[in-house]
Amino acid sequence: MAKKFRSKKAVERGTNVVVYVVLTIISIVWLFPFFYLILQSLRAEPGAVTPYFWPKQWTFDNYIKLFTDTSTYNFPRWYGTTILIALVVTVIQTFIVLITSYALSRLRFKMRKPLMNLMLILGMFPGFMSMTAIYFLLKLIGLTQEMGIVGLILVYTASSCMGYYICKGFFDTIPKSLDEAARIDGASRHTVFIKIILPLSKPIIIYTILTAFMAPWGDYMFASLMAFGDQKYFNVAVGLKYMLQRETIYQYFTRFCAASVIVSIPITALFFWLQKYYVEGVTGGSVKG
Amino acid sequence: MAGLSLKHIYKVYPNGTKAVNDFNMEIKDKEFIVFVGPSGCGKSTTLRMIAGLEDISAGELMIGDLVVNDMEPKDRDIAMVFQNYALYPHMTVFENIAFGLRIRKLPKEEINRRVTEAAEILGITEYLGKKPKEMSGGQRQRVSLGRAIVREPKVMLLDEPLSNLDAKLRTQMRSEISKLHAKLGTTFIYVTHDQVEAMTMGTRIVVMKNGFVQQIDTPKNLYNYPGNKFVAGFIGTPQMNFFEGTLLKKGENVEIKFEYTDSAITVPYSKLYKIRPSYLNGEKKVYIGLRCEAISLDPKAVKTSKAVIKVRLSHKEELGNQTLVYGDINMDGDGYTESSTRIIIDAKGETDVEAGKVVEAALDLDKIHFFDKENEDCILPRIPEYNYIDCEVKDGNLLFLGSEIKLPAAMQCENCKGELLIPTDAVTLGNDAEVDVVDCENINGTNLVSFEIAGRRMYAVCDKEVKKGKTKLAFDLKKFSIISEGNTVVESMPQVMTFNGKLLKEKITEEVTENGKTKKKKVVKFSLGIEDAKFDAPEDISQKLISAIGVKHVFDEALRYDCGPYDLKFADEGISAEAVGLADYGKEKFVICKVGEHTVYVSSETPVTGACHIVPDIGKLSIVQCKMDIRIV
Repeated sequence: MAKKFRSKKAVERGTNVVVYVVLTIISIVWLFPFFYLILQSLRAEPGAVTPYFWPKQWTFDNYIKLFTDTSTYNFPRWYGTTILIALVVTVIQTFIVLITSYALSRLRFKMRKPLMNLMLILGMFPGFMSMTAIYFLLKLIGLTQEMGIVGLILVYTASSCMGYYICKGFFDTIPKSLDEAARIDGASRHTVFIKIILPLSKPIIIYTILTAFMAPWGDYMFASLMAFGDQKYFNVAVGLKYMLQRETIYQYFTRFCAASVIVSIPITALFFWLQKYYVEGVTGGSVKG
Repeated sequence: MAGLSLKHIYKVYPNGTKAVNDFNMEIKDKEFIVFVGPSGCGKSTTLRMIAGLEDISAGELMIGDLVVNDMEPKDRDIAMVFQNYALYPHMTVFENIAFGLRIRKLPKEEINRRVTEAAEILGITEYLGKKPKEMSGGQRQRVSLGRAIVREPKVMLLDEPLSNLDAKLRTQMRSEISKLHAKLGTTFIYVTHDQVEAMTMGTRIVVMKNGFVQQIDTPKNLYNYPGNKFVAGFIGTPQMNFFEGTLLKKGENVEIKFEYTDSAITVPYSKLYKIRPSYLNGEKKVYIGLRCEAISLDPKAVKTSKAVIKVRLSHKEELGNQTLVYGDINMDGDGYTESSTRIIIDAKGETDVEAGKVVEAALDLDKIHFFDKENEDCILPRIPEYNYIDCEVKDGNLLFLGSEIKLPAAMQCENCKGELLIPTDAVTLGNDAEVDVVDCENINGTNLVSFEIAGRRMYAVCDKEVKKGKTKLAFDLKKFSIISEGNTVVESMPQVMTFNGKLLKEKITEEVTENGKTKKKKVVKFSLGIEDAKFDAPEDISQKLISAIGVKHVFDEALRYDCGPYDLKFADEGISAEAVGLADYGKEKFVICKVGEHTVYVSSETPVTGACHIVPDIGKLSIVQCKMDIRIV
């Protein structure tokens, strides 16, 4: 029996159509809430929920008032606090993660394996387990409320080295003979790290920066505990939640939507700026594979 | 530009694996040394220890006149080329080559000059602006070579640099590296598993196996005088033919009988003087080694040759310049499987091979090798260890080769007939006997003197060159031994005296005067415990022990101390011993002492009896860790 002949190209085209249809559906499902959020932020009529989808009147007031009307909710202040914390944490945490990973990947010392396992296991416990204890300890040394920024930075960066795992995995893929060649060429360990390892690790540095920025940027639990109800010391996540109280939701829902859009801007920008470094094949040509 | 010196180098991994065992070598300036051996033989490990990328477990490594054991790689002034090139992928070729110079903060013009020069030598000038990934394997390896030569190092280390290249490129790069060596005049150390690379490039080759050095010699000597069966089989393609067989001395001839066949050939004994006579009894199994070019199928050669064996041909391999004929000396063998009867012959144009045909092959007896079947050592070495001579002891006199020597008191034994073993180093220039020196060969710095007594060829190792003709020699009787009917009747005096002990640590309080004030200070003092005595350990010895064994175990580890009989003397205090006898060798006298389970000989002019004390010369002690058998000092 002769089988019906279908060209390879036709098969490929058919598969592609199916794949793209599925992907489109998924992305609509994903993007729809965000799209709705943007629409709501541009709505002029007040109220939390409207029975219709498209706003009847369009306005930019929600965005403008967010920054001008600071009497009830001081959004610019929250935003500034959060950016400050996130940036400082990003710098410190990226630095710590990179040096920890380098040490664990390249140096051989006693207790290296047990230390790695211990960090991995400790990292598995959820952070809020010790939250109350940490809060009281910080309160003892006066790092809550008005000094909350310092306290939060301390808390966010304290356990940074536990995030070594992915970064170390990447360093492990960089051939050791590069280190050795550089050391014979006259480089010390940290020259090797700065001049050889770091330039080759751009993708993982970007990854580390992004994760380091996102955690404090979106943190709610610890930030709300540290502010202890005083809205002067809120970060954006706590502040936005605060906007949606029963008494104010009617008036502030559209402004909340606008704030949410603004909150997503730094992360999106950061990602777009850094994604060009996610190029594959940075190590190409160094050693024979 | 410097020589290297490796003394008793060991590499022991924490799990107890010994990767390198007692590596000893002196490398002269401008030499091209090749380490060769199968995978896992320790050649790369040794190279990495020289580079400083691996710690040295024990031993001493010197570059020039500096001990570099604890030096960082960057301070050793060496350069290394890696098998996988190890180029910095994010830098251009220029940056790659200049990296080492930049780190050393050389002026910019100097860097430019040197990089351009290196690029010209290697023919990569046009690629200087490219990144490594845009280049082919051969070009990348050239960059890697450039990175090494631009630093103008004392020593160049190359770790299998050509293994990743294809065959044609490899041949080309091989001659380029040789050219580079001639041009730079730097010491090169090159690691490879390819014996062709080793033979073509090295001025001297180190053959290694399982962490042990098998032989260090020039390519030609390795080929012609392999020290054991492994070297013989490893060097040369096709591999040397090995047959099992026995040797039997019949008058002035020796019959070589091949196992698994009826074949036998006869060789004049004069060609086999250096063989230990115990192998000539017709029972002890040996390997007989012959290279393919030492066997001929040429009818003319077969006709004139005295050593002819029958070969059953099986097949041939045409290599263009060479035709290899395969066969078997066992008439039932197939000639394909590698067995101890398979034979490969370089037919030199003779190409008429018919499977199953039985022909005669002539063996070149000057190129024949013999190896012990058990330990595979060459039993026909270039420098024999002993001279074996028939002798007789009669009324306290030793009769051999027509001469008579009065045996000293220490060597007296009953009348017997036997075999006299005279080590080649027991014969020196002196006044004992006049002999006829036939030849004096310099073999790797050792002078091997061949001389004749009563028509019998004997050998001696001398530190000076000896002219042909009549010369007077002296015998060191304490190194002689006599074997009669399988028993050692007279034993030679041991050359190494052994003691057991440990490294000891104690805390003592010392009074130190500082700024006019006297303070009490606690100081840790190390001492060598030798048997029951304690001697102050010099700083360098204790440091070597601690770094080799580790602080944790160094004080529990059993140590063995070795020294010669002349490094011991009697004193009022020291190792307690009991003098049990006197060994009188005529010219020299030694007191035999019992120390624990050991017997030691102490050189002494005056006789000592009963309990006494011995003091060794600490500076001449060699210290061995018993458990792993590692020579540390």
